[in-house]
Amino acid sequence: MIEFNHVSKKYPNGFEALKDINLTIEQGEFVAIIGLSGAGKSTLLRTINRMHDITEGSLTVDGTDVMQLRGGQLRKFRRKIGMIFQSFNLVTRTRVINNVLMSKVPDLSFPRALFGAYPKEDKLEALEALDKVGILDKAFVRADQLSGGQQQRVALARTLAQNPQIILADEPVASLDPVTAKQVMGDFHRINKDMNITILLNIHHVDLALQYASRVVGIRSGEIVYDGPTTEVTEEILNEIYEGKQKEVEG
Amino acid sequence: MSVYDKIFPPTKMELSNGKTVFKPASRLPLVALIVLLFTALSVKITGFDLGVLKERGHQFFVILGMMIPPAFSYSSQVWEPLFDTLKMSLLGTVVGAVTVIPFAMAASTNVIRNPILVGVVRLFLSIVRTLPTLVTALIATYVFGLGTLAGTTAIGVFTFAYMGKILYEEIETVDMGAFEAMEAIGATKVRAFVSAIIPQVLPSYISNGLFCFEGNVRYAAILGYVGAGGLGLILNEKLGWREYPSVGMILIMLFVTVFLIETVSRYCRKKLV
Amino acid sequence: MNKQIEKAYADRPKNTVYQITVSVIVLACILWSGSAVEISKGGFSGLQIAGNILNGILHPEPKLLFNLTIQGVPYLLLETVCIAFLGTLVGSVLAIPLSFLSASNLMPGPIAFIGRLIIMAIRTIPAFVYGLMFIRVSGPGAFTGLLTMSVCSIGMVSKMYIEAIEDLDTRILESLDACGCNTLQKIRYGILPQLIPNFASTVIYRFDINLRDATVLGLVGAGGIGAPLIFAMNAYRWNEAGSILVGLVILVLLVEYISTKIRVKLARG
Repeated sequence: MIEFNHVSKKYPNGFEALKDINLTIEQGEFVAIIGLSGAGKSTLLRTINRMHDITEGSLTVDGTDVMQLRGGQLRKFRRKIGMIFQSFNLVTRTRVINNVLMSKVPDLSFPRALFGAYPKEDKLEALEALDKVGILDKAFVRADQLSGGQQQRVALARTLAQNPQIILADEPVASLDPVTAKQVMGDFHRINKDMNITILLNIHHVDLALQYASRVVGIRSGEIVYDGPTTEVTEEILNEIYEGKQKEVEG
Repeated sequence: MSVYDKIFPPTKMELSNGKTVFKPASRLPLVALIVLLFTALSVKITGFDLGVLKERGHQFFVILGMMIPPAFSYSSQVWEPLFDTLKMSLLGTVVGAVTVIPFAMAASTNVIRNPILVGVVRLFLSIVRTLPTLVTALIATYVFGLGTLAGTTAIGVFTFAYMGKILYEEIETVDMGAFEAMEAIGATKVRAFVSAIIPQVLPSYISNGLFCFEGNVRYAAILGYVGAGGLGLILNEKLGWREYPSVGMILIMLFVTVFLIETVSRYCRKKLV
Repeated sequence: MNKQIEKAYADRPKNTVYQITVSVIVLACILWSGSAVEISKGGFSGLQIAGNILNGILHPEPKLLFNLTIQGVPYLLLETVCIAFLGTLVGSVLAIPLSFLSASNLMPGPIAFIGRLIIMAIRTIPAFVYGLMFIRVSGPGAFTGLLTMSVCSIGMVSKMYIEAIEDLDTRILESLDACGCNTLQKIRYGILPQLIPNFASTVIYRFDINLRDATVLGLVGAGGIGAPLIFAMNAYRWNEAGSILVGLVILVLLVEYISTKIRVKLARG
């Protein structure tokens, strides 16, 4: 369970990215965060695993106060939370399986980590993660030989191999073509259903968000302006979230 | 790949859901073994000895130390050979870079369709490229006599070989669409080449030429050692007479020149690309 | 005609003056460099000499080419390869700290600038000057050649290392951060896998060049094939020089072929 309690975030330059956010997300929900660029979607997502610090209020994940974590504790906490990026963030010059295995690195002993000698269980687990996203046959291919959609799936498999309870996805389909974007969203949906992993994702494509997510959070200038089930999202609500620029976004 | 996989068969891995995948054997151990063996052989043949380095390593800095302070009074005699070096490298670069153009065109598969001709020209370019510049310089001194012409020739040959390969690779990766478009609106092949291919190749051609020129200034300083004119001549002389402060002065002036040329040339290359 | 079009035409970029200036400067430089050409000998005798040399080189001495003793071409080539191999290896190791110090995305500006100046200074000193300096350390022979070659390699190798370091994709570090890696693990799994193929490719490329330049070492008697080649040429024994050159050319072509293959594999997987 993720709980935002009067959370605010002010950047050092004075920009207020989040204003008094109150939000509770239960385990196993599939939440799409929508809003204009610069509305604070990314910041909201990144406060959860503390890639960004919050400046006011409190944020707890499964009872842990995120702002209290230090060094090793924080790294241990992050193990439970997977994160996916728009740019895939793979080491393209190594094999796919090595990219997936990277999520196992923090648990390795020092000598093993030094030489990259992963135990067999880890390797099998990585392969299974690749199987879950349907690219098992690419396991021993170099990552730069894969298409964008396949690369994003490798990133997803990397996160799955981490056995997370929560997956945060920051614009995961923004650099993919519409068909692949749908496939990747389908992967998220399946993982959410089959493994009961909480999924939070930022997304520009409203139609994709409405199609796959079960709950929508709309953000405008750092404030939540809508929070509710996908089924209740209406044209008026979208207009409010997008300050009436909805048409331009889709057109 | 397949040969390797036959000698070192991939390992089979079984997933919990019953699927199997084959993990190709890593090449790393074999590569590491080869490198290690070759290193051992090289250590034996070259007589590599860290002990000598530790014991007598400081001797390296003796000559360097004697160059400081450099003989500033000597600088007046450096200018002429320095300019000779510059002239040699500039002229050599220009001549080499221009004469290679037809050869590079003949070595590009998208301009010449005859694979035999392309192969022969490429082999020729490769052989010229492997000729050590020092050897060309030495031969040039026998043919043209001692002096800057020999150096210019050697640098020209080097530039020819260096630019040749780069240029034909560049021409081959050019986008032929523009060429076809020109032909489609009724241009002749030559006109199409001039207006569709050259503008695409020219910036990188000039950029590579400048880069080559940078390197040539350095190289020209060596050529004098075999009598091909320029700085190397006085460098060799002063080293022979053990006038190390003068050597220091020559090196400093060369350094400043190279620095200036590199700065200007880097600026130009940035504007080009 | 439309007003807007007229305005666009009037505002077109005009750089004829700039182009003319550049052309004049370039032409002037080339003309100036033309004064370097002074023919002290040449004409007919030059051509004749050239013919003799070519004739000699094209008729290499087979005895030398297939002589398997220490004076034979095969052994000299092996020695040259060994010098170039180890020299490249030592030079590329020395270049690593230097290039990290000079990478502008890691180090503050002034330090990176000084690092670059040092690299440039190392590059500027001609090979035979290093050769003479190292002879004081290890006497004439292959070891001196190796040391000279390693120092000569530093310049270009670190320049290419720096490019690889500055091209690093740092987004991967964010991912590793998000899955809980510490700094050491981020370097090992985020940085090294990106750098190693680039560095390896650079080292192989430099090995190629070093093999080609190995003749320079012969000038100072620093081992390898250079010295016998230059002796043969100075003594006008062109057949001998021819057999050495044939061996060298074949070797270099062979090594180039293999190293290009490996480098393409490294770059494209």
